[in-house]
Amino acid sequence: MRRTLRIYRRSLGAHLRAVLEYEADFWILVVAGLLFQVLNLIFLSAVFSHVPALNGWSFPEAVLLAGTYGFINGLGPLFFEGTWRLAGKINHGELDYPLTRPAPVLVQVVSAGIGMHGIGDLIGGGAMIGWGLANSDIYWSPLRIGGALVLLAGSATILLSLIVLGNAASFWVGGNHPVFAMTLIRTGDMAKYPLSIYGVAVRAAFTVLVPYAFISFFPASWLLGKESAWIGLLTPVVAVYCVYLARLVFRRGLRRYDSAGH
Amino acid sequence: MRPYLGLLRMSTRRILTYRLNSLILWIGGATFLAGSLAVWHALLSQGEIGGYDWDQMKAYLLIGWASGAIGSAYGDWWMADRILDGHVATDLTKPLDYQWARFSEHMGGLATEFIAIAIAATAIVTFTGGMVVPGPVQALLFTVSFLLVAPLKFAITYITTMACFWTQNFMGVSWAKDAIVTLFSGALIPLALLPAWLAGPAAVLPFASITATPAALYLGQATGWEALRLLAVQAVWILVLWWGARLIWRRALRALTVHGG
Repeated sequence: MRRTLRIYRRSLGAHLRAVLEYEADFWILVVAGLLFQVLNLIFLSAVFSHVPALNGWSFPEAVLLAGTYGFINGLGPLFFEGTWRLAGKINHGELDYPLTRPAPVLVQVVSAGIGMHGIGDLIGGGAMIGWGLANSDIYWSPLRIGGALVLLAGSATILLSLIVLGNAASFWVGGNHPVFAMTLIRTGDMAKYPLSIYGVAVRAAFTVLVPYAFISFFPASWLLGKESAWIGLLTPVVAVYCVYLARLVFRRGLRRYDSAGH
Repeated sequence: MRPYLGLLRMSTRRILTYRLNSLILWIGGATFLAGSLAVWHALLSQGEIGGYDWDQMKAYLLIGWASGAIGSAYGDWWMADRILDGHVATDLTKPLDYQWARFSEHMGGLATEFIAIAIAATAIVTFTGGMVVPGPVQALLFTVSFLLVAPLKFAITYITTMACFWTQNFMGVSWAKDAIVTLFSGALIPLALLPAWLAGPAAVLPFASITATPAALYLGQATGWEALRLLAVQAVWILVLWWGARLIWRRALRALTVHGG
């Protein structure tokens, strides 16, 4: 386990150094990431200047929700960006290299890149979380702080697992671009708004089928003491399930890999 | 003309080769549209906001989504890739106008885009019960302005993509452009609902011609001379950006570095 972590850290570090060679690109990506969070904020503030609440969610609460979603989404590019290159690797037969090296294939795949736009997401999302928390009515206790951190870790685990799961679909879908994963993750963008605004079908699908709702909605509901807040406490369980599923699908997919035949 | 039509056909075929890819991407776009419909449905359940009721907002969101979808084939990524890996050098040796050639490539997606828009419109009419229908004059004005969206978006995308002559990474540039276009075109939220400090720049920037103009014509918010003025603004922006792009192109060529041979 320690060795695996070390390999992950070294590989990610190498890519970080490579990316930092291009300073202009670094700033462009950070700003681009930040811009998308600012867009969310502009949308919410424009909307809430005309309505007092969105299905029982006040402006600060909605900002907290969108900020959490943005923050969690920033972790993907920073720590799992390499996963998005899996489709290209399969398509070009480049998965041969990780397969022959003495380290877990999945670790080599996820650490094979780093996306600096994640920093913009973390800054933007983090600021939104901070502002949302400061302006929401939350009764703080050590237990609540601890719980919030555990749920945040669970949310992050779920999203990262979904990224692996979606990209592992490239073993079956084929093609050079991870379109399945892009669709899977983009659909989750609907979870940056309170889930209660959607129809029953979407709510059910986002809870049971693909647990987007556990990335931000249920944890935030628990923190804010919304209706059926207890569901938020299931986040770590869902996270464990997602990790298991992602591992399983990746391994199944890896068995299908047949190189490009050079 | 013939070589450009050939490029257009080639680009269409290229898109159709990866049918599954395109299909999945369109499904992603559809869920985005469904998401915004749900958000606005919840927001408008207590009454209209800024002059938009649910029926008008439905039409607005569809037009916003359609104007985002049209002319958005992979043309910019192909161009960016060829600049970044140096293949642009062979494009330069071809007896074609570079800008017209890229325009033809960008328009290769139009056929599939129109089909997708038709499907989305049908789905919305079916599942949400009807759609605002404009009178014949407004419908004609809308059609003209919607067709002008494609060259306008091309000009903006083309100018943005030329950033690849100076930076190594197209993704960030493309995203930043998307964010700015989404905000100032009215695709994020109708421009009338933006705070004043954003509505001001939105009114003078070219992006409003992408979503706000066709929507205003469709919904009948702009009629008569005002409608013609909006169309004229759209046309002028296309010309300005088209020729502006040629100026930038001349400078960009000087920044081009291709290693090896």
